[in-house]
Amino acid sequence: MPEELTYTQDKFTFHVATDRYYNAAGVWAKAEGNLITVGVSDFFQQHNGDVAFVDVAEVGTAVSAGDEFANIETIKVDIELPGPVSGVVAAVNEALELQAELINQDPYGAGWLARVEASDWTSDRAALMTPQQYLEHVKIQAQAEA
Amino acid sequence: MSNPKRIIIVPCSGIGKTYGTVSREAAYEVIEELRPQTSQLVPLSKLVLGDEEARTAVSENQVITIDGCSLACAAKMVEVGDGSVAKEFAVLDAYRRHRKLKPRGIAELNEGGQQLAHVLAEEVAEVVDELQGGQDA
Repeated sequence: MPEELTYTQDKFTFHVATDRYYNAAGVWAKAEGNLITVGVSDFFQQHNGDVAFVDVAEVGTAVSAGDEFANIETIKVDIELPGPVSGVVAAVNEALELQAELINQDPYGAGWLARVEASDWTSDRAALMTPQQYLEHVKIQAQAEA
Repeated sequence: MSNPKRIIIVPCSGIGKTYGTVSREAAYEVIEELRPQTSQLVPLSKLVLGDEEARTAVSENQVITIDGCSLACAAKMVEVGDGSVAKEFAVLDAYRRHRKLKPRGIAELNEGGQQLAHVLAEEVAEVVDELQGGQDA
């Protein structure tokens, strides 16, 4: 369980894991060497509801930061997710095929989407938000919709 | 409201929610068309309001719930109403089994939503029969 920052509004508490970086769409990236694990934030999953299906770029696909790398269908919306990192997809979370609800249940752990072999993580990381910055982003979004 | 010979069906009350509408359409099909003699609907809103007749119905009969999402309000409210759920259905699970039947619309479901409600209704009707011991199938 990673350390977390939290923001509570009304009956909702949003968690932001502190060991990774985020883009504005709520996609996180966590580096282990040059291998970057990618998933969606707790705010993303609470905001968009129960996930019905997720389609992720196949292993071996070249992806670019900012371009769509996955599509998530929830009970509320269909969302094209912009990737946080450029490189080649090295693995996808096959468990999501039968258990898409893992994204809702454990967005920072078992609900990860893909692992990407990064081509330039240092540059990509510089364009992402730190956990504290993302928490502020969540506050603004949550307050705007209150 | 209570008929001890009938299976009680409690659908989601999510007004303005596509999956809630699917759950209610499935419940209507079961009680009005598929198993009118052996099933009976109790509105979730009556349980929420503490309606005595509704609480009696769920506490004295076997209950099937059809929830729209993982909040499972129907199942939870049956338990709050001193009932026990014999079988829980979830629209999302049904959709995962039938991805081509993508539900859209709220007041009026699209074709996929109508078909999904029908598939779900048939699954619920089978459970009604099982709970009735197959006597009224």
